[in-house]
Amino acid sequence: MATYIAKRVGQSVLTLFLTITTVFVLLRLAPGDPAAAYAGPNPTTEDLERIRAQFGLDDSILVQYGTFLKGLVTGDLGTSFSFQAPALDVVLERLPYTITLAVSAIVVTALVAIPLGVWMARRADTAKEFGANLLTITGQSMPDFWSGIMLLTVFAVVVPVFPASGFTSWGGLVLPTLTIAILQIALISRMVRREMSTNMAAPYLTVARSRGVGERALTWRYAMTNSAIPVLTALGTRFAAMLNGVVVVEVVFAWPGVGSLVVRALETRDYPLIQATVLVTAALTVLVQLLIDLAYPLLDPRVRLAKTAKQKTAPAVAAPEGALA
Amino acid sequence: MVFPIPHDSTPILEVTDLQVELVTADRVVRAVDGVSFRISRGETVTIIGESGSGKSTTAMGVLQLLPHDLAVLSGSVKVGGVDLLVDTDAARRIRGRMVSLIPQDPMTALSPVHSVGKQLTGAVRLAGHPRGKARARAVELLEAVRIPRPEEQLDKYPHQLSGGMLQRVLIAIALAGHPVLLVADEPTSALDVTVQAGILDLLLELQERTGIGILMITHDLGVARLVSDRIHVMKDGRFVESGDAEQVVEHPREEYTQRLLAAVPQLGTFDEDTPVEVPA
Ligand SMILES: Nc1ncnc2c1ncn2[C@@H]1O[C@H](COP(=O)(O)OP(=O)(O)O)[C@@H](O)[C@H]1O
Ligand SMILES: [Mg+2]
Repeated sequence: MATYIAKRVGQSVLTLFLTITTVFVLLRLAPGDPAAAYAGPNPTTEDLERIRAQFGLDDSILVQYGTFLKGLVTGDLGTSFSFQAPALDVVLERLPYTITLAVSAIVVTALVAIPLGVWMARRADTAKEFGANLLTITGQSMPDFWSGIMLLTVFAVVVPVFPASGFTSWGGLVLPTLTIAILQIALISRMVRREMSTNMAAPYLTVARSRGVGERALTWRYAMTNSAIPVLTALGTRFAAMLNGVVVVEVVFAWPGVGSLVVRALETRDYPLIQATVLVTAALTVLVQLLIDLAYPLLDPRVRLAKTAKQKTAPAVAAPEGALA
Repeated sequence: MVFPIPHDSTPILEVTDLQVELVTADRVVRAVDGVSFRISRGETVTIIGESGSGKSTTAMGVLQLLPHDLAVLSGSVKVGGVDLLVDTDAARRIRGRMVSLIPQDPMTALSPVHSVGKQLTGAVRLAGHPRGKARARAVELLEAVRIPRPEEQLDKYPHQLSGGMLQRVLIAIALAGHPVLLVADEPTSALDVTVQAGILDLLLELQERTGIGILMITHDLGVARLVSDRIHVMKDGRFVESGDAEQVVEHPREEYTQRLLAAVPQLGTFDEDTPVEVPA
């Protein structure tokens, strides 16, 4: 177990390093000049050169990369061009807002999608289930900027029950959460339904029924426990993706998280800020992924016991590898 | 029958003119087409037939375990005098208490994420034993099915046990509620030939001890010959030949039965350690 964790942590660090290096290089190869973005209208060549020297952009990429790595070890990710403050601090200041939104969205998603998916699996092929199915397909195909603007129009403008933008009170959390959750509930509930249907048709369930186990226990104790791994993996992966900043939703609701920050950083070619954002969110994503991987052995005895007991029967369910997408 | 068990005259199971139609999207299959049979205390009645002849559908029909949206049943299935097709709630009440299932493939018959002990004590508790005594009763049951070191096995998960051991666990689970009838759907066909005889031997020993009735489903005349009092030969949803085990095996009337007889390997002995004879 200890070696497994050490190996996974090593992998994670390597992933982070490769990600940040790729971003570092690509940013500098991409067209666009940060100096031009800061110089104001009609800059002179001297202006631009002064700014480049100030930002350290007149060095070769290799030298810049060396400086960046040196800073990295000491936790210094450079100074944001546009904020004129340590890039890391700017990101960390925004991070709690994104985390709050992500946690809120994933909790709402889980609370609605799991019972809904189970319900759909149990009512398969009834008229009500058909209706629910139709709703989830609609939810799945609705772009988030559209559902966000609809919610905003209805609940913040026409009937102003929730604030339209920003995070001034907890009420401000409602609309962005719903916007994200609509799509996620649609996706996750359909997956829960699929997993539950499979498990409810599995031989072990019929055998359990044959020994008098009640329908409620069959559903929750047997089928749900057996569906837990793929469902939790999906929820974890979605959560990790949300930590990267829910860009569209953050922009629509003027949410002060890293999603809207990264849009601004990209617009202004604020290299240090982009790098800091990527590094922080990638680290969080990798961390969540690591936690999911560590949860497999807890949920599945076939994974937990695979190392200790030498079995000729391979585990029927292999732990999915790095479902980072 | 190898054991001299006095037969009670009232049947535990009485199936009359059972029909099962399986309704799928594109067609209706009459998988079971008017079969009748009865099982009394201590008896083993076998339904034998080739794959697809309707044996499992009959067995699952008796237990009312066919999906409601798939199967339409008619006729009557009386367990202890109660017609399960009339009293639709009765099946739920008697499953595990009066009638239990021994499944075909023990490897897929237990939840892979729950320990053997959890599933066995679950059955024990359903049978009305208090939580505090469930584990002791579970150990007792595992001893009854001759599982070595029962305490240890309780903490194992299905994937850690062999097929033969799992089938013993499943028999223990089936016995938890003191049933009067076991429905065994090809209980040995997924197992290594070397452990098949041991499982059959165990079932017969349990029958001798408790007088439980057994509905045995098999495609193997060797199995049928060893365990049965009566044999019904099934083909395309109907019984084409029925009679005492001895008579059906030694003097088959139907060509179909003769073909089954010729096709299958025959178990030589009940001894688990003795290799199985190869057909001549
Ligand atoms: N779920 C199902 N859907 C449709 N047809 C089925 C289903 N299960 C079994 N059948 C059909 O019912 C018939 C009897 O099957 P079954 O009872 O499983 O036979 P056996 O157990 O003797 O091999 C076969 O023709 C089979 O194709
Ligand atoms: Mg079958």
